[in-house]
Amino acid sequence: MLPIDAAAHSSRWRRRHPVDKAVLGLGLTVLAISLPPWPGAALVLAAALTLLLGPAGVGARKLWRAYRVPLGFCVTGALILLLQIGGPGGFVTLADGGPARAGGLLLRTSAASLGVLLFAFTTPMSDLLPRLVKAGVPAPVVDVALVTYRMSFMLLDSMSRIRQAQAARLGHTTRAATWRSLAGLGATAFVRAFDRASRLQAGLAGRGYDGTLRVLVPEVRISRSFVVASAALLTGLVALTLVLERFLP
Amino acid sequence: MHIAEGFLPPAHAIAWGVASAPFVVHGVRSLTREVKEHPESTLLLGASGAFTFVLSALKIPSVTGSCSHPTGTGLGAILFRPPIMAVLGTITLLFQALLLAHGGLTTLGANVFSMAIIGPWAGYAVYKLLKRYEAPLMVAVFFGAFVADLSTYCVTSVQLALAFPDPGSGFLGALGKFGGIFAVTQIPLAVSEGLLTVLVMRLLVQSSKGELTRLGVLLQSKRQQPRTEKTATSEKPEAPEAPEKPEKSETGASA
Repeated sequence: MLPIDAAAHSSRWRRRHPVDKAVLGLGLTVLAISLPPWPGAALVLAAALTLLLGPAGVGARKLWRAYRVPLGFCVTGALILLLQIGGPGGFVTLADGGPARAGGLLLRTSAASLGVLLFAFTTPMSDLLPRLVKAGVPAPVVDVALVTYRMSFMLLDSMSRIRQAQAARLGHTTRAATWRSLAGLGATAFVRAFDRASRLQAGLAGRGYDGTLRVLVPEVRISRSFVVASAALLTGLVALTLVLERFLP
Repeated sequence: MHIAEGFLPPAHAIAWGVASAPFVVHGVRSLTREVKEHPESTLLLGASGAFTFVLSALKIPSVTGSCSHPTGTGLGAILFRPPIMAVLGTITLLFQALLLAHGGLTTLGANVFSMAIIGPWAGYAVYKLLKRYEAPLMVAVFFGAFVADLSTYCVTSVQLALAFPDPGSGFLGALGKFGGIFAVTQIPLAVSEGLLTVLVMRLLVQSSKGELTRLGVLLQSKRQQPRTEKTATSEKPEAPEAPEKPEKSETGASA
């Protein structure tokens, strides 16, 4: 199981309805990209970080491991905004207002990423996918997504073991050997995925498979108080941004 | 390269979502029709999605000495066709956003457009074109994967340049900056992905002839290689056959 999903399964908010967490987490993300980066996105970032490390109970190390991935992309992208091509100063010069734009972009992406991570770290995919049918996603697509989700872990596990076996047989010592090993890995993933699919089909056919995959979804209700509190927090962040915008530089 | 969460301004995020929607809807209709006609295809398509997800997690060595991930769009498009790849790619990108923090939900439309639409369609077009001119299967596979990978990154550069035009030279300057960093450094990686895809396909031709014939890949090669003895009747994926020696199923737990 992947670390974010594993953390979501043991999260304090695991038993909350996905809609509760979507209102809060994705609401923060929407605010992060809609409000001005300073002070709006900075406030969203602080709120998301507090919620993640506080009430949601996500471990700081787990969060950093997941967070550094989008952060790396953001920093690379933001660095480009520091430069300007053409103009009187030369072919490549430092852009006027580049640091402000780059800083704003960093704030916005960091805050938006934390909003999504708040949702991802508290909502297992197995809780979310079956409920997408109610949100209007066609059932066959949800079924395919469910099979993809469940099969991915088995394939990733197989790939990890095959990689270990290849390494033990000196499969990664030279460049040529690495390429051979990688090709074997990719081909084995295909063969195993299709073999697994045909075995699943045989098994399901024996159990009266009629084309729909029924899964048990834990019955939880949308918490009105949680949604109201989330909406209040989001409104408060908007109001605070509008107020601070007048006083801060 | 996924565009990270929040990287695009809201108007751009919405616009790319709208641009991707018709392709994804078309793919969803194809998939729904396929599943209604052949209910067992759900499992085959799910396996294809898992394969795409796992393929994008492989680390490939770059010619420059660095390491990167294949997009998998070229191989996916050749095996499963671009309309299906639009749906499988969207599912994969959603999983990557929520399970790996690669990409994002607000940038899902932009990432779908580059990785699940343009990449597969461009790669598949080149693959089909080369097959039409009777190029060997592996040459067509290499250039299909190469073009799919490179076009994905070129589109990503265009998306970023549109969102962040250069203060001095506008869109073209920004395209040069983003293209220089992402697309040009991607050429060695596109070569690497092309080579890897050829190696994977060679192994698949040896080990999974049945599946490739069902998916229509070997039907096309058969026209070029009359010595191939197996016959294929349709380019459309059909119901997978039951295994000759069914093993103990784990379906109850995993489905």
